[in-house]
Amino acid sequence: MPSHISGRDGVEALRATLDSLRARDEAITVFLVDDGSEPAISPSDLPATNDTFRIVLARHVVNLGQGAALETARQLALRDATSYAAYVTMDADGQHRAYDALALARAIEEGADVAFGNRFLGDSNVPPARRVVLFLARWFERAITGLRLADAHNGLRAFGRSALERVRIRQNRMAHATEIKLLVSRAELRIVEVPVSVRYTKETLARGQTNAGAALILRDLMLQYLFGDSK
Amino acid sequence: MTIAAFLLLALVAGLVIYDWATLRGKNRRALIVEIAVFVAGAVFIVFPDRATALAHVVGIGRGVDFLLYPTVIWLVRESLLSRRHRIESAERLTHVVRELAIARAADVK
Repeated sequence: MPSHISGRDGVEALRATLDSLRARDEAITVFLVDDGSEPAISPSDLPATNDTFRIVLARHVVNLGQGAALETARQLALRDATSYAAYVTMDADGQHRAYDALALARAIEEGADVAFGNRFLGDSNVPPARRVVLFLARWFERAITGLRLADAHNGLRAFGRSALERVRIRQNRMAHATEIKLLVSRAELRIVEVPVSVRYTKETLARGQTNAGAALILRDLMLQYLFGDSK
Repeated sequence: MTIAAFLLLALVAGLVIYDWATLRGKNRRALIVEIAVFVAGAVFIVFPDRATALAHVVGIGRGVDFLLYPTVIWLVRESLLSRRHRIESAERLTHVVRELAIARAADVK
């Protein structure tokens, strides 16, 4: 779980997300990566842990971007002594529900290598402008990955261990979502889409990705295409 | 001397003075190279016929093209190299920050 927080609202949203995971009757470990938040996320900002709910907190001393934080969480999870049934990525800003994270994990337990969340099949309140951007993103991703998926750039996804080992993220910022699809398509993994609900509020829209960010994603993908072998 | 030549010379002189003032004491060799290039540029600004004569020697019609072609090629290359260096630097920074984060990661009690 990547997290870049500024202000008290962000801490409360993170805590609420973790509380909702803790409330589930499942054994869960959260690999929480503080991506250069100022002030830093401290253990006192987080809910108490117990035998079934564990939090591993890591911190980037400078802000690198969501993709970089996800990659750090991925490496932490793979180096952890415990091997998990499923590895789920989700946002920490309150947009994603614990219920959906567990539904994605179940899809992995049932045999899929990768499960992508599909916000259009769930009870999501996607704003019209975001729908247009996501429609274009979906077609763009379809063109470059060959994957026929109904959603794009949804932070709710799950991986089996062997799939996670093959998805090394090099895009530090938001282009990681397309990069992940590209890596998954090349690895020829079993993919499913799972209905999820993404909640858009004034706060989550302010904290999250902007529609104009699509141009930056295209730029980052182009730079990786041009210079990727030097990275 | 034309108005354009005068303005270009003023720009060159202004840049040299600014760089000399801000870089004084450091990057002296780079500053000397910059001044040498700018002086050569100033000569071609004041005497454009010299550039045209040189251009004709190598089969290019205008003096300005003689200077522009290699400059554009060099700038494009410089831009790509500079971008690659920035990406490599960012990659190294990411690696250091990530290794530090992983080394310091701890269970929340």
